[in-house]
Amino acid sequence: MGRLITCKRAPPAPRWPELAGVERAVHFPFREMSSRIPHPQASVKLSQGLGIGYRSLLAEVTEDIPLENGTHYLLARNGRGKTTLLKTIAGLIKTVAGSFETRGHCQFIGDEFFFDRELKPQSIFKALIPADRRQEAFHLAELLELDARKEFGKLSFGNRKKVGLVVAEFRLREQEPNLLLYDEPFTGLDTPAREAIRERWEATKDQALRIISCHPDFDSMSMPSALLISDGKIFLGGDGALTWADFKDRLN
Amino acid sequence: MDLFRLTVATLLARKMWVVAIFAAIITPLVFPLFTPHEANTMLLEPARAQAAWTCTWFIGILWTLSQAARFGDSNSRTGVGAYFRAQGIGSLRQIFGIWSAIMLFLLPVVIIAVATCLLFAMPADAREGTMWVWTNLQFAALFLFTIGPLALLGVGLASRFGALIGYLLPTGLCLYGLYGVTRLGMMIRLRDDNKLVEWIYSISPHYHLADLTPRLIFKMGHIPWAEFGLFLCYFATITVVLGSSATLLFRTDPLRN
Repeated sequence: MGRLITCKRAPPAPRWPELAGVERAVHFPFREMSSRIPHPQASVKLSQGLGIGYRSLLAEVTEDIPLENGTHYLLARNGRGKTTLLKTIAGLIKTVAGSFETRGHCQFIGDEFFFDRELKPQSIFKALIPADRRQEAFHLAELLELDARKEFGKLSFGNRKKVGLVVAEFRLREQEPNLLLYDEPFTGLDTPAREAIRERWEATKDQALRIISCHPDFDSMSMPSALLISDGKIFLGGDGALTWADFKDRLN
Repeated sequence: MDLFRLTVATLLARKMWVVAIFAAIITPLVFPLFTPHEANTMLLEPARAQAAWTCTWFIGILWTLSQAARFGDSNSRTGVGAYFRAQGIGSLRQIFGIWSAIMLFLLPVVIIAVATCLLFAMPADAREGTMWVWTNLQFAALFLFTIGPLALLGVGLASRFGALIGYLLPTGLCLYGLYGVTRLGMMIRLRDDNKLVEWIYSISPHYHLADLTPRLIFKMGHIPWAEFGLFLCYFATITVVLGSSATLLFRTDPLRN
């Protein structure tokens, strides 16, 4: 199920065959496992000259951008190409020019990743999340104050977004590099939910490479690593100590 | 497999399957009672067979095809298709994942129709009974060969053009194949000078061949096996044409992207 690599394909990730038996015999709690075993590294390399857009050029990479496991924010004003870049990396749309490489099992969670109105989140989790991780998924849902027994159509916009987030987070593959592309996941989410999600990302940062597109609504939010799109250019910014507010000027 | 499971979960949640199964069970038991069966008890059993298969056609056209259109539309519109495609699950696997889940829910309806005919309308004569069983099994096979590819086409069309077109086109094609083509055939017999009409007739899907209700009502016996083989080849060809069109049409994201 799913692919390991998109676009320019790198060699397959090590499969850790020596752990195959262990995984079947014992179920490690998520954090414990992550602390014991180095997780396969996912990567994205956007090469200089990569052009994105629908037919015509929307933005271009000005220098090689290598990304590895961790959380990387994608910041830009409306219509500058955040979604286009994520879709390009996910292999959903073609590049206008240049190339890029990705390594990892890719999940693209669009800004409108919704399910059938009559489906309850608990049924969605049962259908999409492996049984051994489902309990943890329900725990995160509870933490996010998401009522898993309520029909999807009756959930608020923010709660609908949470369903997609929980699904994606618990479909990470344990012995493969993971690549998660979130398109504006915080829209509609309140601060406690946002913080809970960020805590989850922090705790599992060695498990996946996450690229998260964001809107200029969260001034105090720290940005350990940020990809910026401005004036038709895509470039890497931030030294780990900056906040969204610091980037605002650059984007304006 | 994930999309199959998600589609099954959605169909279960929509609960319409309960109505379909209930209708498939109740219709052949209730509707024949409206015939003058007190005057002629021989009417009851063929009426049950007719009601069972008519109801199956109704469910196939009204429910299965509409579900196919709805799933095709929502898969591309809600981001689910894009989500799975980013994971490397291509169009072919997605369309068959959705389609197989839909067909899974049609299967019990067909089984109920066959079971109703075998349990409540079985001829007493042993020879007739054997033919009755085969006729019903042939009917089930041809019915699935008709609705299955149309459902696939519905998913493909709806993913590209929306649920309305995804439902109306396959339904129109099905009704035309069931009733329109025979009208066209009658027209050709009355006036055989129009080559265009003859050509349209020959390329039309002859779904009326899949409707064995008259054979059941009038106890005409099953289709001879050699002929049935040809029927299967004919429907397999339609399946290839519709299946290819459906998979080519299928989109995992809306047309604007």
